[in-house]
Amino acid sequence: MKFSCLQENLAKGLSLVSRAVAARSTLPVLGNILLAADNGRLRLSATNLELGITCWIGAKIEDEGSITLPAKTLVDLVNTLPQDMVHLGLSARTQTVSLSCGRIKASIKGIDAQEFPSIPTADIDSAIQLNVEDLREMIAGVIFAAATDEARPILTGVLARIEGSQVVLAASDGFRVAERTAHLSTPVDDPVLAIIPARALAELGRVINAEDPVYMYLPPGRGQVIFHHGHVELVSQLIEGTFPAYHNIIPKSYKTRTVLSTDEFRKACKSSDIIAREAAHTTRLRVKPGEDTLIPGHVIISATAAETGDNVAEIDATIDGDPVEIAFNVKYLVDVLSVIDTPNVALETSTSTSPGVIRPVGREDFVYVVMPMHLGR
Amino acid sequence: MPWDVIGHTWAVELLQRDLAHDRPRHAYLITGPDGIGKRTLAAEFARALVCTAGGAAAPCGQCRPCQLAARGGHPDLLLVTPEVSGKKVRSEKIKIDPVRQLIYDLTLKPVEARRRVARLLRFDAANVEAMNAFLKTLEEPPANVVIVLTAESADALLPTIVSRCEVLALRPLALAEVREALITRWLVSAEQADHLAHLSGGRLGWAVRAHANPDLLEARRQRLDDLRRLLTATRVERFAYADRLVRDSSSDRLQEILELWMSFWRDVLLSTAQAAAPLTNPDCADDVQRLARALTPASAHSVLTGLRRAHELLGRNINARLTLEVLLLDWPRL
Repeated sequence: MKFSCLQENLAKGLSLVSRAVAARSTLPVLGNILLAADNGRLRLSATNLELGITCWIGAKIEDEGSITLPAKTLVDLVNTLPQDMVHLGLSARTQTVSLSCGRIKASIKGIDAQEFPSIPTADIDSAIQLNVEDLREMIAGVIFAAATDEARPILTGVLARIEGSQVVLAASDGFRVAERTAHLSTPVDDPVLAIIPARALAELGRVINAEDPVYMYLPPGRGQVIFHHGHVELVSQLIEGTFPAYHNIIPKSYKTRTVLSTDEFRKACKSSDIIAREAAHTTRLRVKPGEDTLIPGHVIISATAAETGDNVAEIDATIDGDPVEIAFNVKYLVDVLSVIDTPNVALETSTSTSPGVIRPVGREDFVYVVMPMHLGR
Repeated sequence: MPWDVIGHTWAVELLQRDLAHDRPRHAYLITGPDGIGKRTLAAEFARALVCTAGGAAAPCGQCRPCQLAARGGHPDLLLVTPEVSGKKVRSEKIKIDPVRQLIYDLTLKPVEARRRVARLLRFDAANVEAMNAFLKTLEEPPANVVIVLTAESADALLPTIVSRCEVLALRPLALAEVREALITRWLVSAEQADHLAHLSGGRLGWAVRAHANPDLLEARRQRLDDLRRLLTATRVERFAYADRLVRDSSSDRLQEILELWMSFWRDVLLSTAQAAAPLTNPDCADDVQRLARALTPASAHSVLTGLRRAHELLGRNINARLTLEVLLLDWPRL
């Protein structure tokens, strides 16, 4: 293998794929980055067996071939090189790469590329095309609701369901559910149902930026999903199992519908959390409808912590239905109010012990269900 | 290609049958004393499970999965081994964190092979929390997962662990089998192979270790010399020896020494009874005979009982120095 490329491109590609390098693993080769020169391009790959990132960069290939090099050494070294052409050459006998750039020379010992796990590549023709803006919003809209505790592995994933021209992403940690829907420009023939680790989707959200569309491809029988975006491909293992039937807990009806300003509601929740974090994030919402149609109703948001003190915020709201008092984990409210971009948000409640539903007003594509807490009286 | 396992034919055949029907069980537990071949069998089975040849031909040794596995790096072969921990008392333990990580890793689908194989070696070294955390996964692992546990004995595990596995209890190999394997596979001289086979008690792994590391044999000879010297020593010397021994060795080490002494006293007991069974330590035959002439079967037996009791007590966090002093007090003085 022998090639040369610009330091800037190499550094950019390496920093992108190094996010998938396994920090410590029983397989030494997973701490390495694969460099493969083929078809006139340089391919960089890293994987921790759960997530793999591949990136192609332009390079002048003189001899084809491949090698894996220790990620930390390579990244740190390339970052210190001057902005110039980097020349790399592999000595196949010793599996050592010699690198030169400007007046700096280095040689790094590698591991045979044969030992690197094979990373599949996407077949664009049979892939599903997703709009990049939609996808980014969808990921941001649900990912915070996925569990971080690995005791229930299924819930650390995000359910992706694609049927006809509809895409649904849903996540839940057992206390709340977030579901976001979007439409495809080209409908799919076969429905898709997959549980993608939230960590992989978070990484995808970070990687996608340009105007290029994202292609999602599920290689048949491999238990993996591949996202192709410009010069980058992200491969994630899928989680085995069945996602909980979360549709059953989305309430079909409500007794009270409260429409609030998203901004005011979020600010009130954030200030409430300063007190509430000492009391398991419990915050009470007292919903009081106006006495007649001319006087608006209001919502009183209050938190009390025995050690710290208490605070109360009152915001105006359009309320349709009975008065109600309900307590929520305020962190869960702040999470969702930070991603809703409509000016108003609707809170649908029935009783103080049944789940509350939050929807952006004017959009039908997002629903968030949050379990209530004990009022503690 | 036949499996690279010496002896244990029945176990190999049983596993191969499961493979040939392509219906491996979800979990296996391989038990047997240290050095008997549990890891070798587990590794070979794991290789066969990911081999692309499949069925009776696996592992073929030719395909990519076999080659990766041989180099110790197949991404679908997961491994959990005890780690050394503890500042004062160093011991090997499997803690809960690697087990939790494994539980998560197993929920992901296989990377390259058709299935993922998890090996948890010396699971008897796992603490109770780690065992309990693993119960759910062990009972109902995700599809395409095979779990292989190894342990010295099923008794050392929670009964709930054992009942969720197919148990393969490996038995010591025949003396001739060990001797043969040492000569043909490890190119040990016939005389040395004979010696090692006797000492190994049917544990080929131990014999190979002792061959590769002559210090082990040297330490053994040293301890047997100590035993002979202790028999003629005064009470004060015996106490000084007990004190030194406890200070220098961990409780695991002490138990090993007691096991060695037990094998020696067993030989003495057999000789006093004029039994025809072969000696475990044929290199000490002269000493054994001399002692046997001086002692009655009853007194040899009482020494052996004392050793066994001390061995048991050391496993229970007892004052090691006092235990050894009591043990040595009861030995006859010649």
